[in-house]
Amino acid sequence: MSLRKTLFLFFTGWLIVISALHARLNPDSVRDFRELVASLRRDKTVVTTDKFKIGFLPVTCHLTCPVTDFINQQLTGGSTFQPIRFNSWPELKESYLAGHTPATFILAPMAIALREQGVPIKIVYLGHRDGTAVMVHKDSQIFRMEDLRGKRVAVPNRYSNQRLLFFRALKLANMTIADIQLVEMPPPDMPAALYSKSVDAICSGEPFMGQTELDGYGRVLWLTKDVWPNFISCVLAVRDDVIQTRRTDVQALVDGIAKSGKWLDKSMDHRMSAAQFVSKNYYMQDPRLLIFVLSKPPDRVKYTRLTPLKPDFEEIEMLGKESGILKGTAHFEDYVDPTFADAATEHADAWNFEGPKP
Amino acid sequence: MSSVVHIRDLWMSFPGKESGQQIHVLEHIDLEVTPGEFVCIVGPSGCGKSTLLNIIGGFLTQTRGEALVEGQPVHGPDPRRIFVFQENGVFPWLTVRENIGFGLLAKPEEEREKTVAHYTEMVGLNGFENAYPRELSGGMRQRVEIARALAANPDIIYMDEPFGALDFITRLKMRADLVRIWQAEKKTILFVTHDIEEAVQLADRVIIMSRRPATIQKVVPVNLPRPRDLDSAGYLQTRDEIFQSMGMSVRIGF
Amino acid sequence: MSTVVAEPSPPPAQQDDPAAPPARRKDPHAWLKLALPLLVAVVFLFAWDTAVRISASEVFPRPLEVAKGIRELIQKGLLVRYIVASLFRVTWGFGLAVLVGVPFGLFLGWFSRAYQAFNPMIQIFRPISPIAWIPVAILWFGITDIAPIFLIFLASVFPITVSATAAVMNMQQVYLRAAQNFGLRGLPLFRRVILPAALPQIITGIRIALGVAWLVVVAAEMIAVNSGLGYLIIDARNAGKRYDLVVAGMVMIGLIGLVLDLLVRRLENFDEVRWGYANK
Repeated sequence: MSLRKTLFLFFTGWLIVISALHARLNPDSVRDFRELVASLRRDKTVVTTDKFKIGFLPVTCHLTCPVTDFINQQLTGGSTFQPIRFNSWPELKESYLAGHTPATFILAPMAIALREQGVPIKIVYLGHRDGTAVMVHKDSQIFRMEDLRGKRVAVPNRYSNQRLLFFRALKLANMTIADIQLVEMPPPDMPAALYSKSVDAICSGEPFMGQTELDGYGRVLWLTKDVWPNFISCVLAVRDDVIQTRRTDVQALVDGIAKSGKWLDKSMDHRMSAAQFVSKNYYMQDPRLLIFVLSKPPDRVKYTRLTPLKPDFEEIEMLGKESGILKGTAHFEDYVDPTFADAATEHADAWNFEGPKP
Repeated sequence: MSSVVHIRDLWMSFPGKESGQQIHVLEHIDLEVTPGEFVCIVGPSGCGKSTLLNIIGGFLTQTRGEALVEGQPVHGPDPRRIFVFQENGVFPWLTVRENIGFGLLAKPEEEREKTVAHYTEMVGLNGFENAYPRELSGGMRQRVEIARALAANPDIIYMDEPFGALDFITRLKMRADLVRIWQAEKKTILFVTHDIEEAVQLADRVIIMSRRPATIQKVVPVNLPRPRDLDSAGYLQTRDEIFQSMGMSVRIGF
Repeated sequence: MSTVVAEPSPPPAQQDDPAAPPARRKDPHAWLKLALPLLVAVVFLFAWDTAVRISASEVFPRPLEVAKGIRELIQKGLLVRYIVASLFRVTWGFGLAVLVGVPFGLFLGWFSRAYQAFNPMIQIFRPISPIAWIPVAILWFGITDIAPIFLIFLASVFPITVSATAAVMNMQQVYLRAAQNFGLRGLPLFRRVILPAALPQIITGIRIALGVAWLVVVAAEMIAVNSGLGYLIIDARNAGKRYDLVVAGMVMIGLIGLVLDLLVRRLENFDEVRWGYANK
């Protein structure tokens, strides 16, 4: 057979086979594709699919997102929103900016900075409180904040609250930012970096901190609650236009998150159940990790008192200005819409759910 | 008999490396070729004989003067006059059969097959129809090109040192084959070579060109019967005449 | 006239009888062709295992752990799913790159004005890593399969275009002259001479581009798709200490890359292009 004929037949055949296999084995992709085509046909700027998508990362700060989705599905057989898992902050943010994920879990200072830059973003709820630790290598001689002088410390992102947390901790220890060396690093890479001692301390959301402890080479220098009680790292943010056009959906979402938060903090059994189903279905992690960080100690991360409060954010604004990531042009009223949280506080109770059906 | 190729006061120069500089290659060339004639052009290497053939073939344009072929000024290559290249222009991605039939695609298939078979046999490539050029020897590839030229049934064949890359024995044999084919086909052949013996073996007339800038130094008719006896007095005399007019003596070598 | 036919062909430059297809004598050491690479692989695995054992690393996996990781992926049905997803994206991204790159490259190679016009832009785009395009891909195509396909397309379209352009530019002038002599011009000239003359070099370019396309699959799947070998690696990094799965993903990408290269290499054996490669 001639070259051209062989090439043509082989490639066409392969194209059909691989496309059919992909559609069969990865049905999500077909749905995504259909939605993309539909959205392009209707309107180029706003994605209006029936289920709206929420971006999240596989960190405990965003745990309520998969929990709400899972319990929704278990209780009602469906969910009004679709969680989309990202692997890093930039992609999560870009997807939000492009309107593909009209709601997202996001770093609080990043949300404020985006608002300062004119992005239509409103914080409607908090993701969690506390839930961050600073880890050092167990063999290191670092036992107090002061020991970090001259050391290299990894934080997730310049807009992360972990960085602001360090500014606060430094202040408490009468130190300045010049005393340590801050580097940015994606949280999944932090455990390996600490293990190989290429950094002296790491600080990000769980479960990456707990992982180093669990694997036996990390030691907690301090937990968030020691330095900044009721620390906020991530918030739930929604696009302005979606708040306008889909109030009931947003309210349902916030209610769901609130219910999940209360459910998680209601009993350790719930937390263990969540550790199992979230690890298996959403994070693709070993459940031991989530079990560890959700229980040792139990107040390492908390999911109640999630209404955004002005004093908390004023502190973030202040530290943000100090650390040079915020200009101070956006204020609480500009970037927070507390109405959904207030309504949720009124009527949202913990889920009546005792673990997945066998 | 009217001439089929008619060159009148033809000049050719190329731009040199420095701006404004011109390299004069051909000066004041006059040449006539009659139909069915076998004309060889010889001259020292780099004298411009290939340039002249390329102008007649339509691949180059002269600076001055006229080049008429079949009464018409040359404007680019023409399927009625096929060029056989020094570097071998056989298409390596086609088989021998496809190469020989290359110029015949407009013809009905039956006729094409007949023509291809005819010329395949003429150049002695039976059994190699489905071979690819890379599977052939240099001489065989050159025969494919000659067969391809003949199959297109041109009036004139231009050959630019077609046997230059072949070994001695093959070259001798190819010359004999070419003469035989030329006698059978009655084509006009313009043949460029730097090999004087080759010219004397092949040509009705040998055109001797000078060093660059080249002019036509001398025209030597070769009135020897074919097939030519390379030991005959007439052959040796003609050969020596050409050697001498090119400023070389056979006895003391080059 | 028939005397010539009856005669043996003139002494060919090549020694073998040219009538027979190029001689492929049976190599008595053919088994070495398989055994040597396998030996190198075994030595490599052993060295890897020893290195991890000596360093007593708790993070880096040993070969056996990786093999177990691969088995786990097979049992969960994930391996096939991920391989299909990655191949699907590479097929489309790379296929589109060929469809665009080859004609465009031929066009640039043929029309020197077009080359002058477009080449600087191509050279500007060419060195930009696909990773740098990730934000653009997300902004334009969101989080569907199209974003990684777009990235793979971008990574492979430039090598293909450049090789097709060079193939036409470096084409031996004698083929062009011969074709013009037979009165060919326009599309038939392109189809019957320029394309086949350029094909060997185009196929080399395609082979390189396929390697690049497969190379960027990890970067391309960093976007929030939820399948693929690149996703497997990024996902395993998120999954705590599952570096066995990270390496399993690397191993699978490498093995499939090898198979793809072997497949494309087979193209070079076709008679239409074999002339274009030395020693074949």
